Amino acid sequence: MSAEQGHSPHEMGLTPPEPPGAVHDLGAAAIDLFIGARELYSVFVRTLYYVARGKRDKGAVVQQMFLIGNKSLFFVTITMGFIGMILLYQAGLQAKRVLPDFSMLGATYLELLVRDLAASLGALMLATRVGAGIAAEIGSMVVTEQVDALRMCAADPIDFLLVPRFLASMVMTTALIVWAGVVAFAAGAATASIAFDVPLRTFCDMQLIDWGDLSTGLAKCVAYGAAIPIVSGYCGLSTFGGSEGVGWATTRAVVNSSLAIIVLNAIISTASLMLFGAK
Amino acid sequence: MNVAESTGAAFLGLAETVGGMGVLFGRILTRLFALPPRLDYPELTRNLHKMAVKSLPIVVVTALFTGAIMVIQAAPLVKRVGAEGLLGWGAGFGTLREVAPLLTALMISGRVGANNTAELGTMVVTEQLDALRALAIDPIAFLIVPRFLAIIVTLFVMTLYADALALLGAAYTGEGLLQVDSRTFYNGLTGGQLYFSDVADGLVKSVVFGLVISLASCHFGLATKGGAPGVGRAVNATVVASAAGVFVLDYLVSFLLG
Repeated sequence: MSAEQGHSPHEMGLTPPEPPGAVHDLGAAAIDLFIGARELYSVFVRTLYYVARGKRDKGAVVQQMFLIGNKSLFFVTITMGFIGMILLYQAGLQAKRVLPDFSMLGATYLELLVRDLAASLGALMLATRVGAGIAAEIGSMVVTEQVDALRMCAADPIDFLLVPRFLASMVMTTALIVWAGVVAFAAGAATASIAFDVPLRTFCDMQLIDWGDLSTGLAKCVAYGAAIPIVSGYCGLSTFGGSEGVGWATTRAVVNSSLAIIVLNAIISTASLMLFGAK
Repeated sequence: MNVAESTGAAFLGLAETVGGMGVLFGRILTRLFALPPRLDYPELTRNLHKMAVKSLPIVVVTALFTGAIMVIQAAPLVKRVGAEGLLGWGAGFGTLREVAPLLTALMISGRVGANNTAELGTMVVTEQLDALRALAIDPIAFLIVPRFLAIIVTLFVMTLYADALALLGAAYTGEGLLQVDSRTFYNGLTGGQLYFSDVADGLVKSVVFGLVISLASCHFGLATKGGAPGVGRAVNATVVASAAGVFVLDYLVSFLLG
């Protein structure tokens, strides 16, 4: 800025204001993040409030359970089957390089599956399928003004749209993750016996699983089951601007629910390591 | 609808998707291997900026957390065997070969693939593609080939970043949580148990994933019909097809390279 004269050009309004710098961008990103987090929190609290008040249409929950659960079954089975085969194949290659002893392969794999992999990878799959579906559906309702119509009828869209999806997702995510673990373990067992000649009896070894692993896995199921509909519902409800907006909302739903799962995973895993310790 | 009917319908749908992606791939190749290649270079740089540069923050966050999770999950095993020296090697092996390419592909499929479908789908439902054809501009050369190349390059470069950052996250988590010195971690990485082929494996995978994500997102984007709900459905179909394709191909590539 040239301030040597009495009136700088900027003061007289002759030059445009300086282009925003890195600090401006960082601050804008931080403020956006803060506003987003606050709105997400408000959606979460309102959902919990309506769940606790407990006045809802049972048919809607059952229908959402069908859409979220049964319709995802095929997708989850296929992807988790392939994940199980890959994981075990890589683990076998890794074990081969350090000590060629496959007797603990099954037990370790099962422990990892129960504690983390079944829940986290299964939930990442559900985040893409279910999260995108919820955001696309609610987003379409927003841009076609159906949500405004709901508000006109004195029905809170969160009570009417999000609560059934929230309840259905909590139940069905847990069920699907248990199923995902079963599929991944079966695929792993098949790979182990074909690629590394590990007998099925040696592979199906549950000695490493304890209550710590089980409760960590279940805590993850519940946390992911709650996070996916809340994050994608929030993305869907904040849609604006026609068909392009619906696309944006769906994209944000997939990215944000995946990020939420990864961050929740890190938090829950650390807490469980502190709580149960490394055996 | 009975079981046989729905199974048949599912298989027909699958065949239609795979066939559509194959035909699109053929069309892209004819533009790419024409002399001179028929594609729009400004569109290519625009897409590279939009897809690669703008995805950097989520790739950084994902990779750092992924590295941390790898170490947290390996912790009981390391403590049980007392093999602190192997932590770097163990985390490096899993990260470079499998986890970093896979999670980067999932995040890029969510952010870039879905976004690309939304953009193309919007163009289709607002008849902008028909307008291009009316002006005798080839939509494949103008819109699809640049996006196809940009997604593949993006995923390759992002996987390189993710490899490095996941190992960084793993090293610091090991130091903070397991009291494994980061120098020990580094020695485990470079101690001769990891080969260049482990890194190359992951990078080959990232190119294959880029191929399937770009074909799926362009195919579903071009096949959009029916206004705003149609765009939502197309995006949903893209992320599902990309995730399934990534896992199936991951398995095949692992076996072929292993």
